Amino acid sequence: MIKIEMQNVCLGYGRKVVLKALTFHVMPGEVVGLIGPNGCGKSTIIKALSRIISPHSGKILLDGKDISQIPRRDLARLLGVVPQIPLLPSSFTAFEIVLMGRNPHLGLFQYEGSEELAITWRAMERTATQSLAERRVGELSGGEVQCIVIARVLAQETKAVLLDEPTANLDIGRQVEILDLIKSLCRESNLTVLAALHDLNLASQYCDRLVLINNGRIHAEGTPREVIIPQNIKEVYGTDGCVYTHPINGLPVVLLKSGNGQPAQTRDGVERGIV
Amino acid sequence: MTLHQLKPSFTEQSVPIHFPHWRGRIYAILGLLVAFGAIVVFATAVGSVQIPFSTICRILFSKLPLVEINNPAWPGTLETIILEVRLPRVILAGLVGGALALAGATYQGLFRNPLADPYLIGVAQGAALGAVVGFLLPSTWHGMGFGIIPVLAFIGALVSTTIVYSLARVGKTLPVTTLILAGVALGALLASIVSYLIISSGEKMHGIIFWLMGSFSLSRWSEVGVVLPYVVVGVVVILLYARSLNVMQLDEEQAQQLGVNVERLKLVLLAAATLITAAAVSFVGTIGFVGIIVPHAVRLIWGPDHRFLLPLSVLTGAIFLILADVIARTILAPTEIPIGVITAIVGAPFFLYLLRRRKRVIF
Repeated sequence: MIKIEMQNVCLGYGRKVVLKALTFHVMPGEVVGLIGPNGCGKSTIIKALSRIISPHSGKILLDGKDISQIPRRDLARLLGVVPQIPLLPSSFTAFEIVLMGRNPHLGLFQYEGSEELAITWRAMERTATQSLAERRVGELSGGEVQCIVIARVLAQETKAVLLDEPTANLDIGRQVEILDLIKSLCRESNLTVLAALHDLNLASQYCDRLVLINNGRIHAEGTPREVIIPQNIKEVYGTDGCVYTHPINGLPVVLLKSGNGQPAQTRDGVERGIV
Repeated sequence: MTLHQLKPSFTEQSVPIHFPHWRGRIYAILGLLVAFGAIVVFATAVGSVQIPFSTICRILFSKLPLVEINNPAWPGTLETIILEVRLPRVILAGLVGGALALAGATYQGLFRNPLADPYLIGVAQGAALGAVVGFLLPSTWHGMGFGIIPVLAFIGALVSTTIVYSLARVGKTLPVTTLILAGVALGALLASIVSYLIISSGEKMHGIIFWLMGSFSLSRWSEVGVVLPYVVVGVVVILLYARSLNVMQLDEEQAQQLGVNVERLKLVLLAAATLITAAAVSFVGTIGFVGIIVPHAVRLIWGPDHRFLLPLSVLTGAIFLILADVIARTILAPTEIPIGVITAIVGAPFFLYLLRRRKRVIF
């Protein structure tokens, strides 16, 4: 169990400041979603939390400990990351990629033993990717690669997981499978989960809390019901999102309509003509 | 395919499917070790003086510990030819071949670039400049120890890579592209100085060009004694980081997120690979082709996993260069051909054959 905390953090690349005065936290057993328009800095937050970039100011804490003080290997045992567009070396097999998740648990003089293989295999079972094990990742589809990387983060056995658009390449069936898996892991083993999500409906369905980022600041924070409201959608995305209530669980859903207010031309007439 | 039927633990049958191809690679390493021993004996047997094979074996085995042959039935000159002329040459060829192949595999892995070879960041050009300066020094400088040429070549190699390294450094990080570009640019500068010195070297030109193309003709145990420690230490250090090199194949960000200290890894591996390359080339010249082609051939046959790729490259490189040297010294005997010529003439067609046979992504 581990708590992720950002205290008044300012992030950027070089001199350019992307995000200012970020303060939020993620508790163990909680799924928090980062939402916001393209380029608002969701991936930057993920990079800062995994120490790829260091903050200009402010503190990033894991269980109260500043992450800049944690050695890289120790950090990788606490915190796993699923990158947005995982680039994988095409000639490795899927199993070899998932096995890399065990790397932070092995020292310089150790090698992967049967325990490592078993954990790797179990991670592939949980993500339903065993059938891909012997395939070279260059031959896999984008969705399959995404699942392999999620299997890798499971094999890493961390206490917190950061996901950067984990469902971007997945069909709706796989989206639900993967997010269900992450949610159940979060509940079972008190995993701390922070996910940058593009899809507001998925964010609403799966996250306990949402952090809406816009113009380098936190625009709104709270439960999906508090954050996904027409006013916020209009202010942040500049489009008249139609926010409805999900008929089954009462969570907000966003439906889109075309910009000119006209419904798209129906093809009914044309199709009837052909058939 | 449903995730809701989560299996609480792995079944005993499910894991072992992944052992077989590891086992195959481990057998390959053992097989190559045996082949290496056999080829050392074979290469020692081949030469201008015909010596019966059984005599060679007896001479070699008599020097092994715990073996006692009371009644040596061979003349002392044969023993000298075998033990003081041929064997050190074979061993040095093996050391250099293994070192260059390992350094090539390390650079290719570290830079994630299939075109990387041990000379990419200025080792060869630095060594060449050092050696050429050594050739041009007045002959009074040449008498000491191994001679001044290997010492200057070694220093030249280390100085030029240090310059490349410090030029490429940006703050606390070492961007790989900057490093390669700095290496190529400084290499070109040094190469042009070498060319100028060669043109103006007069009657020493022949010796310089022969050195640049590589030769084992001056191999003695003292050379082996100098190269061996570098290569052994370098090989051990690089092999320890094989798993980290695998993770580096993802990209630097993912490698960091999987616990690899990327900047330290670069520093350690660059230092180790540069040292073994510099030690290898300073005695025998800048032998080309081994460092780039052997790792690719190994990758084509046994796959990209560095835990196997690195040791297999060492053994394959050693065997390849020993055989190339046998050809270089026998095919036009008593004239010797520069070994760099042989490595390319023999190696390139074989590599192209491998490339055509396996039609899949190799890198």
